[in-house]
Amino acid sequence: MSFYARGVLVSVALAGLLIAVQPVQAEYLRIQLKVYGLDCELCARGVGFSVQRLDGVKSVDVSLKKGMLDIVLKRGNTFKMSALRKRIRENGFRPMETTVTAVGQYNGSRFEVLGSGESYEIGNTDSKPSNPVEITFDAPQSLN
Amino acid sequence: MWRLGSAMTGSKFSYGWKQNLQFSVSTTFHLNPGEHPVGRFAATMPGNPEVEGLLAWRFVHKSTGIATRNECTLFVGGSALTQQPLRADGPPLDRQPGLYGALAAGHISRTYSVWTGAGFQHYGAWNSHELDHQSDTFLTSLALGWRPPFLAHDYPKPDFRLFWETTGERIGHAWRSATEPVTTPPPGGGHYQDWVAQQSTPNSSGVVVLPNSGGSGVYSGPTFLCTYRGVAFQAGVLFRVWDQPNGTQPADRFRAMVGFSYFFLGGRRRGK
Repeated sequence: MSFYARGVLVSVALAGLLIAVQPVQAEYLRIQLKVYGLDCELCARGVGFSVQRLDGVKSVDVSLKKGMLDIVLKRGNTFKMSALRKRIRENGFRPMETTVTAVGQYNGSRFEVLGSGESYEIGNTDSKPSNPVEITFDAPQSLN
Repeated sequence: MWRLGSAMTGSKFSYGWKQNLQFSVSTTFHLNPGEHPVGRFAATMPGNPEVEGLLAWRFVHKSTGIATRNECTLFVGGSALTQQPLRADGPPLDRQPGLYGALAAGHISRTYSVWTGAGFQHYGAWNSHELDHQSDTFLTSLALGWRPPFLAHDYPKPDFRLFWETTGERIGHAWRSATEPVTTPPPGGGHYQDWVAQQSTPNSSGVVVLPNSGGSGVYSGPTFLCTYRGVAFQAGVLFRVWDQPNGTQPADRFRAMVGFSYFFLGGRRRGK
């Protein structure tokens, strides 16, 4: 085997090792956030633009009639719910109940969105898997 | 803004650097001053040809439900005249600095809204020797808003609101110095002091109160606001309900206004 071929094999083996030790990506995938105070097209446009600028946001749909932001996030994001709530308040509105779709891990009675450092009280954790899973749940207004 | 026999135009730049703090600079010009009492162009814009800086502090802001919120805002501003407003009753008055304070409160919902407010515009003097005085103005307003169901589109379609606005104003007398010479000659030429002496007798403070200045009035009428893609268009007409000029000025029968606004909604920089 030539020196070049051995080098390629070593590189492939190292890459495989890196992939093996990398944890399964955990992240927010979709957030449906109820917002109080949105009453006009300019409000919706302003808050939509502002949230769109948060890291990891793929798209934002705003409904004035429902008072709802529907946020889809990019894969591999490090998005934080706390940053979203802060951004809503900075725009002069009030973030309320949230429906979250995320990949994370159960830890006791809590569901941790790994990588974000944020977790949610889910309730009864009997027979819940310990490996990362994707779930949709209603999150309270306060985190952690 | 147009009145019968007079017209004004103005522009305003506003910047909101905090959630509840906004600073704006506005300039207004008289295209045709007419003879009507000059009050405020709008609650947040001066009526005289001047540049005004205005700080707005929204000290109450509660979002109480979907598309519903209550607000109270305090406005404090200062201004300087950029033109000497022409007057029908003599030479222009000297330029003076102005102070403005106002309070506004509102309840907004998806269907209805109500705004009310009051403000006071006062003109001072750059120094104690300048005794010319533009009229002070006390302004009140009430705006009732309604978004009809057939216009209540969801974002991102155009957004319409209809309003019925009522304003009440009390504009004080202006006065001019009977002792300070001015560069503008009086009508027909001659000496200014002689001209003033013919008009009226100065009071003990050495000023001549201009009888045909100021007055009170109430105006009411429909307006509307349309917003779409960061652009706002508003227009309306207020009709005289009641007025009582201080002197013999012609009646201010209606006021029409058209306004365009563009909102830079880029928001804050990208961040976590």
